[in-house]
Amino acid sequence: MSFFYISDDASLDGWERSEDIALLVAGGDIDYDASPQLRERLADRIHGGARRLVLDLSKVTFIDSTAIGVLVGAVMRLHEEGGGSLAVVCEEENRRVLRIFEIAGVDSLIALHRSREEALLELTTAR
Amino acid sequence: MRATVEQAHPSRARSELRLPAQPSELARARRYAHEAAAAFGLDEERCYEVVFAVNEAVTNAIRHGRPDEQGCIELSACSDGERLTLIVCDHGTFVPPAAVEGGPSCEGGRGFPLMAGLMDTVELHTLPGCTTVCLSKVRM
Repeated sequence: MSFFYISDDASLDGWERSEDIALLVAGGDIDYDASPQLRERLADRIHGGARRLVLDLSKVTFIDSTAIGVLVGAVMRLHEEGGGSLAVVCEEENRRVLRIFEIAGVDSLIALHRSREEALLELTTAR
Repeated sequence: MRATVEQAHPSRARSELRLPAQPSELARARRYAHEAAAAFGLDEERCYEVVFAVNEAVTNAIRHGRPDEQGCIELSACSDGERLTLIVCDHGTFVPPAAVEGGPSCEGGRGFPLMAGLMDTVELHTLPGCTTVCLSKVRM
């Protein structure tokens, strides 16, 4: 068994709350076993109206190509729904996850930030 | 097919793990890969590269391959002192993945490029009803 969790995080305090912004926090191993949960949670938020998604992967210990595929799928879904963006947060210390993103070559689709503040600032000012 | 693999990688140390072809078994595959890489003497970063590549190959075997009559695929590790090779074997007939030819917006097709980016060599041996992926790291 591996360990995985994903939760909504209410700590958007200090940021202008907007119904179309959602912050999700994941941790543990995101593999082919866990990626359906990730897909479902992202789809739920998009279905619920979120168009600017922030996904904090700082506490993720393992990420595979199926998880990257899920994130790309979420971006495609946002485009189909008329536009939106997905920003991934990963702390500089989490080199393993950052490296997989670097090799996967998805930087044109998914913005990678080192902190939630950086991601939220980008999302709330770039519109 | 296994004989072919063993000829290609004459081994001094070899271990095998039969694994139910279920997503919930991926964590066990990763632990096995980590133990093999650590026993070979790789540092943590290179162990992680092996773990990542093995996870991708086993995921492919579970998703696209075919298990044996008992519902299992096979994972093995061998080393000849200078080279560690992890071998993932299933009974499916390999169909080339829809590579990321559609560009970065494709959801799939990233497994092999990622494996190749993290391992020294990635070999795919295909026969009807037998697909074997050999992932190697050379001792630095």
